[in-house]
Amino acid sequence: MAEQHSNVSSDLIWEICRANNAYLVKRTSGGGVQFSRDPLNLVNKHSRKYAGFVNDKAVGIHPAEKGGVTMVTKKTKHHNRPAANKNEVSWTGNKSGPKIYKGIVNYTAKQGYRADLRQEAVARASAIRRSSQPKKEVPEKKLRGSKAKKAAEKDSS
Amino acid sequence: MTTRPTVSIARADGSPSGSTHPLPAVFRAPIRPDIVQSVHTGMAKNKRQPYAVSEKAGHQTSAESWGTGRAVARIPRVSGGGTHRAGQAAFGNMCRSGRMFAPTKVWRKWHQKINLGQKRFATTSALAASSVPALLQARGHRISTVPEVPLVITSEAFEGAAISKTSAALGLLKAVGAGPDVSKVTKSRKLRAGKGKLRGRRHVQRRGPLVVYNPDTDGKELVRAFRNIPGVETSSVFALNLLQLAPGGHLGRFIIWTSSAFAALDDVYGSTSTPSALKKDFLLPSNIVSNADVSRLINSSEVQAVVRPAKGGARTKRTGVQKKNPLRNRQVLLRLNPYAKAFSEGKLGQEKLDAGKPERAAETFSEILHED
Repeated sequence: MAEQHSNVSSDLIWEICRANNAYLVKRTSGGGVQFSRDPLNLVNKHSRKYAGFVNDKAVGIHPAEKGGVTMVTKKTKHHNRPAANKNEVSWTGNKSGPKIYKGIVNYTAKQGYRADLRQEAVARASAIRRSSQPKKEVPEKKLRGSKAKKAAEKDSS
Repeated sequence: MTTRPTVSIARADGSPSGSTHPLPAVFRAPIRPDIVQSVHTGMAKNKRQPYAVSEKAGHQTSAESWGTGRAVARIPRVSGGGTHRAGQAAFGNMCRSGRMFAPTKVWRKWHQKINLGQKRFATTSALAASSVPALLQARGHRISTVPEVPLVITSEAFEGAAISKTSAALGLLKAVGAGPDVSKVTKSRKLRAGKGKLRGRRHVQRRGPLVVYNPDTDGKELVRAFRNIPGVETSSVFALNLLQLAPGGHLGRFIIWTSSAFAALDDVYGSTSTPSALKKDFLLPSNIVSNADVSRLINSSEVQAVVRPAKGGARTKRTGVQKKNPLRNRQVLLRLNPYAKAFSEGKLGQEKLDAGKPERAAETFSEILHED
């Protein structure tokens, strides 16, 4: 907390916003699940660890154009300058998966910036890449047995 | 305390003007959502107008009970004949066209007295929360384009009624990065659920930024300029209202200050040691804990010096592992029962009881048994 006032800390912010905040999605179904819409939340779960708006350091991973991936991290220096408070790194869809993941790990874990989010960050990037890939067509089902073939012929005629 | 942090003052086009202002002491006030919520609950009640059902409702009939003996309930019944109404039950809350249960009265306790000290505490608390970007985001304000929180715009931008037209006001908001917050409000406008639709509260919408000005230097023309922008409210720095600073009792309203209003804050609220110039007998509340960062407190050398070492050594609890059956898994068995090794190696489980043949009972035993 570099220049935050002494009366504020992420612990206090979390206690204030824990019961309710603009990102929180509460449902009674599923045993009262609590999700988060926070763009800096890697697993979309309402929890102290993943709450991007609360923590000084947070990582967000979003889809970019053409199957690429964008990583957003929070700067710790000017916490009260929202417009200038984030770093953005993008990888195009042409880059291979492992290269992207290595880049993400270099930014998040290896430099000591939220090493605890390494796995979640890589998993999210991987899921985004997978979702952007075109789906393989399922091959047409082969008919098994002569009866089935005859039935199919009858149907078509 | 080290040097007081400063806040840069933006020009009307959003660029930094270069000049700064030290952060008023009110932004260091304790942030107490509990106090803000309870004061807000009380204050929100003070604009209510009394309502009640008519005093006569349900009692405009001359019904009398028929008494016992007529095989009907003893509820008052409408007298007379010739109409269907005759003989029907009346008055009771369970009756058709009877009065309601406990009819509402205009002398209900509509308003709440809130202690002035609490109101002032809540206001300073809400102001302090308005300088925390995370709380603004948690309230739902779109502040990703805002250059700095708290956002201060030079009063020169308002000089000589420069902002007296809504188009100019909207241009100013967009230039200083408040555009997304305003458009959020416009997009959020929906039909209200329920009866409020029929009672002059047809739509609901979010709240946008609050523009705080100093009427002495900025004039009052800007009020008219801003008032038709959805969600945007204006307030004089000398009459800040908790209902605007923490709508719904939720901390973290996005506030846009004019520089003269920002400068006036130290006069209005004073500090923890110098009393306010404008409020009688008011010192800013001070924080009970001077450092709110719990992890820093725990990791401080003072605390770490006195904590006992963890008991049980470096054993970590392994969660989420499959439970192994010790009857089938020998290693798990040995962990639970170290004696199992010696037991099986010595084949103690297979050993016969070496008690020999059972001894024959004594002669006298059978004699005593068969004695007549």
